[in-house]
Amino acid sequence: MIFSKKKITLEYTVEKCNNCGSSTQRKFRKGDVLFAEISKCQTCEGTVCIDKIFGETIEQ
Amino acid sequence: MDLAIAGLLNFTNFDVDQLFAMNDDTNPIMMLIWIIPIIIFVFYGQRIQLYITSGEIKKGIKKLDSYSAESRDQLLKYVKTNFETKPDLNSKIDRFLDFFTIMPVDMDPNGIVDKVRHTVRSREDYTRQHVKSLSPNMSELEISKVQTLLEIASSLQMIHKIINHMFLTAKKQNNYPLILPLQMLLPFIMEQAEAMKKAIPAFEKEQPIGDGIGPMVVGKMMLNTEKELIAFQTVVSKTTFENRNLLLLKAEGPASTVGRPGDALENIVSTNKLDAIIMIDAALKMEGEDSATIAHGFGAAIGGIGDEKFQIEGIATKNNIPVFSIVIKQSVLEAITLMTKDIANQADSVRSQVYDVILENTLENQTILVIGVGNTVGVPQ
Repeated sequence: MIFSKKKITLEYTVEKCNNCGSSTQRKFRKGDVLFAEISKCQTCEGTVCIDKIFGETIEQ
Repeated sequence: MDLAIAGLLNFTNFDVDQLFAMNDDTNPIMMLIWIIPIIIFVFYGQRIQLYITSGEIKKGIKKLDSYSAESRDQLLKYVKTNFETKPDLNSKIDRFLDFFTIMPVDMDPNGIVDKVRHTVRSREDYTRQHVKSLSPNMSELEISKVQTLLEIASSLQMIHKIINHMFLTAKKQNNYPLILPLQMLLPFIMEQAEAMKKAIPAFEKEQPIGDGIGPMVVGKMMLNTEKELIAFQTVVSKTTFENRNLLLLKAEGPASTVGRPGDALENIVSTNKLDAIIMIDAALKMEGEDSATIAHGFGAAIGGIGDEKFQIEGIATKNNIPVFSIVIKQSVLEAITLMTKDIANQADSVRSQVYDVILENTLENQTILVIGVGNTVGVPQ
């Protein structure tokens, strides 16, 4: 127990363009909801939506 | 050589005095050193084991107590921060935390499922009303979140009370055998309790949890279709795929609810002829199994107390509808905390496998119902 490392979960949001499929990963922000439309794609003018919200657990 | 072995194996050739160290040259202190512990262990062995085991269990109970207190504090903080509340908020929540449910008697199992369903739904309705009374300006979405947080805090308090009661009873009676089942069960109970405690942030922030993979898959299929409320907190939409009619069903997201797929199915079959049902759900993985693996099967993939499963199986049997299931394996912790990357990455694969199952098992112009089973928190449609 003394030597066990503390685990923390980092929350991420993946945004994906419905047209060209390009995706970016960023830190989760309050108000992020799956499938929500975020913006226009900078490369193809398609719609960028939230594709995934997930957590990654790391040991500190 | 044979004689030597025979000599070694002759167990009758020993000296009794030497064995018990009763010779005149034996040190009596040395003799006491190994005889006294034997006597102590014979008479007090169980009590010593009780003390050692008690230490471990006490640590577990202390943790459970802290989980229970923390979940209550987090709930109060969440409600106070986000809503206008009345002055008696603390007492109202404390009253609910002690709330219990008495399951129907099962000596005569005839009709037990209806009784269980009635009891569980009455409790859900009561909880919802109770949450509504905490703050008048709470939306349905917020009510579902607070309801889940309340259920978590209530469950953790109940677990702590039961374990503490079992431990104190064993201690009071100085009864080691009574503490044994508790010692064996405690690691599993702690795993569940830790998972519940860690689940709180995901529900507060309205994030999808591992159990929401089914609704996530179906929710994406439902995008850009017209949704209709088919049962309490449950939505359905219609679409087509390869000349087949698809009915997509899930709990109404992004609220924290599992909906009522049984009632929804009953309503659907009253107006549609279904040729197949496909259920997508999270399933508990076995130890050693990889997380986020997909498995196919047959039969109703739905957890819970069993009333929904019973209802779905009954309707499927009556109408002769085959039920296919696709499950995504995960641990208890993964199922109720923020969805892991591995599980989220499987959503597209599961969706394509649903289409494969449809193509392999149905014909053109047939109607297929696809149900995304699980808590749909953070997953709209």
